[in-house]
Amino acid sequence: MRLEDTFPSLGILPTIIVVTVIAIALQLSGVWVTMLVAGAFAGLFTRRTRCAFISGFTGVALAWFILFVYLILTSQALAIAGFFIGLLGISGGWIVITISVVIGGLLGGFGGVLGRALFELVDELSNSMSVEDSSSEAEASVN
Amino acid sequence: MKRAATAKFLLSLVGPIALIVLLSMPIGPLSGGLGIIQPVGGIFDVGRGLDQQSDQRIVIPGIDSEITIIIDEWGIPHIYAESVFDAFTGLGYMQAKDRLFQMVMQTYLAAGRISEVVGERAVTTDMFHRSVGLRKSAVETFEWYLENENTSTDVAYALEANRGLTHGVNAFINSMTSANMPIEFKLLGYTPDPWQEVNSFIWAKYMTWGLSGAIRDLDRLILRTKLNNDTMYHEILPSVWPYTVPIVQEQYNLSIDDYPYAPGGWPAVLQSDSVVVEEDIGDLLVQPEYEPLLKVFEEVTRVFGDQEYVGSNSWAVNGDKSASGGALLANDPHLSLQAPSLWYEAQIVIPGLLNVQGGTLPGTPGVLIGHTANIAWGMTNMGADFVDLFVEEINPSNASEYRYGDEWLPFNVVEEPIKVKGGDVVDFSVNWSIHGPCIDGILGDTYGLANIAMNWTGNGVTHEMLALGLLNRADTLEDYFDALYWWDGPPHNFIYADTEGNIAVTVAGKMPVRSGYSGKYPVSGSDPNVGMIGFIPYAYNPRAVNPVSGYIQTANQLSIDPDEIGYKILGPQDEGYRARRINEWLAGASSVTAEDLMVLQADVVDIPARIIIPYVLDAWDAAGNGDSDVQEIIDILEQWDFSMETNLTAPTIWVYLLDSIKQNIFDELTRADVSLRYAFTPVLEWILKENISYYLDDKSTQKPESMNDILVAALQSASATIRSELGNSTADWIYGLHHTIVIDHLADMTSIGNEAHRGSIYTVNVAGGWQVKHGPSRRMVVDFGTTSKFYTVYPGGQSQVMFSKHWDDLFDLWFDYDPTTKHYSYTEEYFISTATKFAADYGGSGAIEYTIIMMPKEGTL
Repeated sequence: MRLEDTFPSLGILPTIIVVTVIAIALQLSGVWVTMLVAGAFAGLFTRRTRCAFISGFTGVALAWFILFVYLILTSQALAIAGFFIGLLGISGGWIVITISVVIGGLLGGFGGVLGRALFELVDELSNSMSVEDSSSEAEASVN
Repeated sequence: MKRAATAKFLLSLVGPIALIVLLSMPIGPLSGGLGIIQPVGGIFDVGRGLDQQSDQRIVIPGIDSEITIIIDEWGIPHIYAESVFDAFTGLGYMQAKDRLFQMVMQTYLAAGRISEVVGERAVTTDMFHRSVGLRKSAVETFEWYLENENTSTDVAYALEANRGLTHGVNAFINSMTSANMPIEFKLLGYTPDPWQEVNSFIWAKYMTWGLSGAIRDLDRLILRTKLNNDTMYHEILPSVWPYTVPIVQEQYNLSIDDYPYAPGGWPAVLQSDSVVVEEDIGDLLVQPEYEPLLKVFEEVTRVFGDQEYVGSNSWAVNGDKSASGGALLANDPHLSLQAPSLWYEAQIVIPGLLNVQGGTLPGTPGVLIGHTANIAWGMTNMGADFVDLFVEEINPSNASEYRYGDEWLPFNVVEEPIKVKGGDVVDFSVNWSIHGPCIDGILGDTYGLANIAMNWTGNGVTHEMLALGLLNRADTLEDYFDALYWWDGPPHNFIYADTEGNIAVTVAGKMPVRSGYSGKYPVSGSDPNVGMIGFIPYAYNPRAVNPVSGYIQTANQLSIDPDEIGYKILGPQDEGYRARRINEWLAGASSVTAEDLMVLQADVVDIPARIIIPYVLDAWDAAGNGDSDVQEIIDILEQWDFSMETNLTAPTIWVYLLDSIKQNIFDELTRADVSLRYAFTPVLEWILKENISYYLDDKSTQKPESMNDILVAALQSASATIRSELGNSTADWIYGLHHTIVIDHLADMTSIGNEAHRGSIYTVNVAGGWQVKHGPSRRMVVDFGTTSKFYTVYPGGQSQVMFSKHWDDLFDLWFDYDPTTKHYSYTEEYFISTATKFAADYGGSGAIEYTIIMMPKEGTL
């Protein structure tokens, strides 16, 4: 059974939504590496590497942006961002938040590319194994 | 196809791996990496729920019973518990919750371990603190407590309190989440170790070092040898400043039978047993490493503030002078202003045993300055000299030995390897002689083997924590005397007032009696007859109790007239202008109220200006040359009331003028290559008042100058300097444009203030320098009138989180000067004896921010 047969291609927009939801859920764990996992889902619901990157990037970036909006409204995220950038001698909390969203996006995007490549490899392996199995069965039936 | 898919997969790993590396690697001092700017799990967590605190129930295994902590509207915890251990567990938890980064950094700094947190740049600082031996002394002190725990209930109390504090701090560390972990730790990528019991002793040691550790022996020696004129040297640096008003006007001795020892149980000696030797200039031991050593001392971080700014004010008035008939007390310690503050306010209550409120030092188990229900106390630094240097003679045939009398004694070599962040270890060791640690080891091998031993009276076993434990439980004047019998660190002036109407001051601490030398300069360590032979008996320490004047004032000045005490106390202490202002104010006051004391705490009359400017104006009248630029300055000074207010130009002119007068009069110093920081203002005052022609004459000219000539010259050079630096428009000379307060974060990550600030280094509301970084670190006014009232404020806030309202809410009060009332704002303390009453009296009023209930195990409630 190939993954591509199990998970349908959804198109970019629905895939972004799926990635966004998963990214928000995983980000609540506080481990940014999990954004690679969230992005990888983009590879599952798209068929082209470029689409996987775009969906993963946009999905995770959107997830982080949504979280930041919430944190700005409730938890002084903009002030904290301003403090952080101030340590580097620059002002402007939005810069930090923008950088963070881009970082999240890159994690998602590269996760998407990784996911797409991984799923293709898995399908390829599974495909060649089934071809080998069929050949063996054919040989066995000839014999 | 399979090979292509594998290659694609491997290629797709490049991006994620690169990102992981990029986000994990340190960027400059931000060791936490860029990953910490993720929305959840990084720096943004610290903002969650900051100002919407809700009641909490926390399980703290190991406590005996329930602890109730009410956090008031200022973030100040009121801790109600049933046992000493529980009460201080509550304090430790709250201190850690609000100040963990500060506690860790300060303790590591004092222990010589700060390189473990910040890296290689702090290695010299660590070597310095290892050389002073603060950690070694703290360990010895801790061991003394352990050895005496079973024989003294007071020692047991102090240890139990410290154990509770440690338990509380670790309870917080163990339960720390991303939301309440200090943001600084995230940025530095550092996770704190568990808190150790000895840490509190280390910090207590640092406090005493921070307030007394200056090697004036080198200052004196360098000044004396550079001047090479003993008459001038003794006039420039007299043992007692002219015109000073001593703290103790009427000495009050305790019974030597009741208090036979020096503080802390140390041997007491009579002055008659000592042979004080004043060294001739030819006797001075000059070593090439003195100046570099002095430089290291001046450059090392001093958390409590630079020595020239460390000071304090305190005063008390009795019922004869107060409006209510009760005693009043005021205190404001002048320390480094840092964010978060050195102080952490708390009330600690154990029914029937303890009810104390005031300023604690985060990481120590008790209130350092504050009050119980019946007594209040404050502290000012004594500011005398408690550090002597001994130059050890190293055995030429065995460098691990030094001469002591007819013997060669081995140095006690203490290995002090310094771990550096990243894994490196710097080998370092300190040689200890009989006199103390050889502090020149921090200079390396440049000047040969380390042999300058420092005898600091704070080294070794001291009993400050025991004294504080007693003071925190004191209710009477006798309790206060008994508590301070144990205060054997370098001395402080402990001022006192109580509900019975008593007022008192005790210069508490170990004051050395020297023999065979003066203590003013480094001396040879080889003569066993030269050294500290003991200490002044506590019963005879400078002390005043209910003086007939009806008031007591202390501002780091001369403790007592040397003829009154019969012991040699090595000064000089503070120049005494704040004390003179406080003294004249209190002497002329009657029907004093707490608000009056607040007005005095805010006072910015500059006494040197009031004394010196009339000489300047007279000089211009008599010998002015009509210079219109100077005349403009004269016109401003003539209208001035000598108050250092931010909206005036005269204070700015005065600062420039005083510098200029010193430059013109003390040309003897500059010609001898001596810094003008030795041009002390009381000496200038003496020169002007006594018209000392030797100093008034400018030796670089042929004709002898008069006082008028030199003051006019000073006016002209001040005018030229101010115009060249600030411009010709007097609008640009407004004091507040240049004299500002800046309170830096202790790791320099942010600051509080940056606003125009009143005062000068000579005013009661002290504010030295153009950019003020030291000053009243905590203001307290206590009114034991019909009902006791306690007013406090400090420049900062209870929280270490810069995004919390409690980061700087107290600063806002501290800085809020009201020209109508003529004082700053304060909090009126909630000093309630039970949690139930607190809740009943203030529940729903906004006074209670939230409550924490600590339980020994789940389901206790």
